[in-house]
Amino acid sequence: MPFLAENHIVFICKGMHGCTSHILPSAFSLLSIYMKLNLNDMARCLDLPVSTVDRWIRQGRIPIHRSGNDCIFKESILEKWAFNHGLRFSLPNEERKKEQKFGLTNLLPAMQLGGVFHDIKGDDVESVLKSAVDKVPVPAINKQGLYERLLEREALTSTGIGKGVAIPHPRTPLPEETDNSLITTCFLEKPIDFEAVDDRAVFVMFILLSTSIKNHLHLLSRLAFCVRDDSFVEFLRTYPDTSSLLSKIADSENLLDKADHN
Amino acid sequence: MDAQLFHIFRNTPLGRETLLQSIYFCKKVGASLIIYIPEFTKFLMYFENDVVQIDLDNSYLTSPETALKHAKELLDQGKIKARFLEPKNFTASTLPDISTNFDFMCCPRSISDLSSKIGLGYIGPRVRRIVNSARFPVLITSPVFKKWRSIAVSFGGSANAVNALKLGFRISRASEMPLSVYTHMENASRESYEEIIKNENHEEEMDHYVTEWHMFERGKFEENIYDVPHDALVVLGAYGHGLIRNIFFGSKMEKIQSTITNNLLIAGPNYGLGQK
Amino acid sequence: MRILRRWRHPASWSIFRLDDRLLLILIAVIVGTCSGLAAVALNRSLIAMFEWLHHFRHYWWSFIMPAIGAALSALFLDKMVKEGAGHGVPEVIYSVSRYGGLMRFRSSFSRLISSCLTIGSGGSAGPEAPVVMSGAAIGSNIAKLFSLNDRQRVTIVGCGAAGAISSIFNAPIAGMVFSIEVILGEWKAVNIVPIAIASVAGTEISRILQGNQIAFSHRLFHIGHLDIVACIGLAIISAVASVLLTRLLRSMHGVSKKAPFPIWVRAAAGGCAVGIIGIFLPIVLGEGYHPLRTMIEGAYTQGLGIVTLAVFAKILATSLTLGWGGSGGIFAPCLVIGSLAGLTYHRGLLLLWPSVPWVNEGCFALLGMAGLISGMLHAPLTGIFLIIEITGGYEVILPLIIVSVISTTLCHYIEPVSFYLKELVEKGQLLRPGTDARVLSDLSVQELLEKDCIIVKQNMLLRDFINIIKKSHRNYFPVEDEKTGRFLGMIHLDDIRSYLFNPLMYDAVVLGQIMDTDVKVVYLDDDLSEVLRKMDVNRLFSMPVIANRKFLGMISKATLLDKYRNELMVQTDL
Repeated sequence: MPFLAENHIVFICKGMHGCTSHILPSAFSLLSIYMKLNLNDMARCLDLPVSTVDRWIRQGRIPIHRSGNDCIFKESILEKWAFNHGLRFSLPNEERKKEQKFGLTNLLPAMQLGGVFHDIKGDDVESVLKSAVDKVPVPAINKQGLYERLLEREALTSTGIGKGVAIPHPRTPLPEETDNSLITTCFLEKPIDFEAVDDRAVFVMFILLSTSIKNHLHLLSRLAFCVRDDSFVEFLRTYPDTSSLLSKIADSENLLDKADHN
Repeated sequence: MDAQLFHIFRNTPLGRETLLQSIYFCKKVGASLIIYIPEFTKFLMYFENDVVQIDLDNSYLTSPETALKHAKELLDQGKIKARFLEPKNFTASTLPDISTNFDFMCCPRSISDLSSKIGLGYIGPRVRRIVNSARFPVLITSPVFKKWRSIAVSFGGSANAVNALKLGFRISRASEMPLSVYTHMENASRESYEEIIKNENHEEEMDHYVTEWHMFERGKFEENIYDVPHDALVVLGAYGHGLIRNIFFGSKMEKIQSTITNNLLIAGPNYGLGQK
Repeated sequence: MRILRRWRHPASWSIFRLDDRLLLILIAVIVGTCSGLAAVALNRSLIAMFEWLHHFRHYWWSFIMPAIGAALSALFLDKMVKEGAGHGVPEVIYSVSRYGGLMRFRSSFSRLISSCLTIGSGGSAGPEAPVVMSGAAIGSNIAKLFSLNDRQRVTIVGCGAAGAISSIFNAPIAGMVFSIEVILGEWKAVNIVPIAIASVAGTEISRILQGNQIAFSHRLFHIGHLDIVACIGLAIISAVASVLLTRLLRSMHGVSKKAPFPIWVRAAAGGCAVGIIGIFLPIVLGEGYHPLRTMIEGAYTQGLGIVTLAVFAKILATSLTLGWGGSGGIFAPCLVIGSLAGLTYHRGLLLLWPSVPWVNEGCFALLGMAGLISGMLHAPLTGIFLIIEITGGYEVILPLIIVSVISTTLCHYIEPVSFYLKELVEKGQLLRPGTDARVLSDLSVQELLEKDCIIVKQNMLLRDFINIIKKSHRNYFPVEDEKTGRFLGMIHLDDIRSYLFNPLMYDAVVLGQIMDTDVKVVYLDDDLSEVLRKMDVNRLFSMPVIANRKFLGMISKATLLDKYRNELMVQTDL
């Protein structure tokens, strides 16, 4: 737009395909900074259907000028307009940042963080939990506090979910003490009566420490899926070492992911 | 496609040919057919920046009692269902408003003049105004029903021509018919045309859909048009270059529509606005 | 080429781009001037025709003249310009409210010519409404030339109408107020300034070409307190007259529609009848400005009986002219009927209380005019300002306000909608901005479409369906035919909740068995008010949208509320 360029500095942003800014200096500087976006991108920034934005531009209700399929507007004015009318307006790069925050941790990274430990000593629930808590590799955690919370949870109902597996966990998540969710796998020296649902003695504990309830449920459901498979439990009974356990978990998770995406 | 084609039914043998063409187009492209059997000779179409009053030629109102029956017979023959449009808004008591959010419109070369005037080289003024203002392409039918078996896009390099090309891709994708592009090179090299296509990011589609790209370097345009197959649907853009240039040098669209008898699908300057 | 194209899109010039007020003012000047010229042209041609035909008025066959004029005008409108008859202001309001003021180019001149034929030959109609329509059409086409958007175009159409009225009456304020009150229907700051400028431009053109004349000069009136009380009676009478005129016009329209003759024969018949009446009461013919002047100056000498008869005769004549196909407006006839009514009232008062020093009858004529205009158009402000401006008589402001307001209120009780809007409201087509009807008509099904439903096929097992439910965010699942992709039915989670937890059924049940095939659907081009009605009748909160027998998405009341609020906030902003 030659007419425009003579009098103003033009900042042209090419939408979702990255920002390429051309600043054309001129004798009469600043004062007007126009942005140009494609109509579809504009609709996405305003979080509205394309036909609505198109209609509003045609009716003159939104401060955007149109030439062909391009929308020309001033960012500050449009933001003010959107605010006054209860609409959201965010430029493309800002949107991408928002999407990244809410990821969920899977079993494999959680178990890698939490570590796998064998021969945990103890004769009953309390002592076994005490020794296990000592092994948890998070220095920031107050071990005594964690132990008490695990016990509190056990007092509610047993976390033995059957087939010899138990999943002790605190009732509320611990976002302050740990940045990432983790699962500490503890194979017991000898099987202990956990008052599990099927009354079988528990030989392995997975201590779940999650940053949020969502994460907790996610890890729990995945773990439950693995445990449902009898061959997996048999595998556990062989007291495998860290690497083979982790690779077995990785395989199971792959199966899960495939099933999810079907 | 969930596209809609708007057709104004004329209850005469000429209208029968036009309806057959619309039916064929809809079946090939997968669009649904919307038929308007006019009750009054006039109606208004309100576009974005223009209101066009269509004064239909009187033959459109021939024997209204049989119009619906004839239309339905043709639809049954073509094994396609259509919706009949009943106008809901009226600007005046005899002036219905017809909406303009269709995806295609079909009409013969002229809708306000006598049928005797419909011949090569003539496109009625109303039809021209519709093409100029509408966001949808207009299918201008040949006087006799003819099945088209391929698509020919006339590409001249202007912005409208690119629109026509996009339209060609869309039709080719929906109908799975072969697509060829015809360019009459006037003082520009082959590379410049390819450059235009690359700038609009249509290279892949060119490779995917286009079977042949005919570039005419020599000869007069009217003679080269002979190469366009007789059973092709010709897709072109209207009002490609500015007004003054059209007056002095003539427009491709005018030349094409005065020379060939194929069905024409014309994309106006507003085609493609506000679409994904 | 590009330069020419840019010139035609001034809205895209950088100075105007984000604040278009200056642009609108400049265009308003142009539009006001053009519509002022149109009004002056009509005025002049009416005067010319009147003088030319005056010679023939004393012949016995002069009653045919209105007939010929009306027939010619009907023929012209129907065959040459191919427009419908009628005075056209409802058409302007319709286009402003629905299509952002888009009007056909032929409307700029067609009504001018046809009303010139009708009124000039003696038909009882007014030149104002045709001039309003021409001015509005001129405004609309100039806006089209400059590629303005809807909101700007509506303002410019208002400017055209205002310029026309201001020019024909030499009354800028009345033009402004009429345009904003009647045509646009909303008092927004962004509209008022360009319209005011256009009014000024129109008035100025009229003054340059015709001189600065006050249309109806008068003697000074001395209003006493009793006169103010008497005004209330006058208001009642003018309200009655307005209602009578409205009803008679409508019924004439109805009667003439049923007559099996072609349009021009009907117009001729109406014209003939008017001509016959005109032989006995010549005050009935034409737009009546000349008799108006006499009446305001208090120089009208006929007795009470004749004046009363004249009121009814004029009402009848106007209905005949306009109802049977003639082309013109009701403004001027309203003025004449109003002043006749005022005169009747005054004579009546004199009869009943001869000793009271009533004010001059010219004053009552003025007040009657105001009462009738306010009553017919439901526009009291227009009535007040018009009378003040065309008579220059500010001293009558008190009784003027009383009469206008009371007349409007009374008429509002009996005829809830003003004359111009009546047709539109009857057809349900009046859309004032910021109203429910307007919001619903602007939104379309396409904009409310929610496409996040997962589509399933009719041969899917329940077991696989459970996986789909896991991923979905909704309660509805549309079922498509495997081969043709056609929409077959819907599955609602509520219906199958009881089967979901019975693993024995997972492999035994196919989706085609549990789907609901009797589903009410919505099409893309359905009217939203119709959609809402369907939802209410069937007690549904969401419905599927189908096009070409394929499922497109869902439409739900929840999204509708959201979009409705957005739309309303955008429509009613400052």
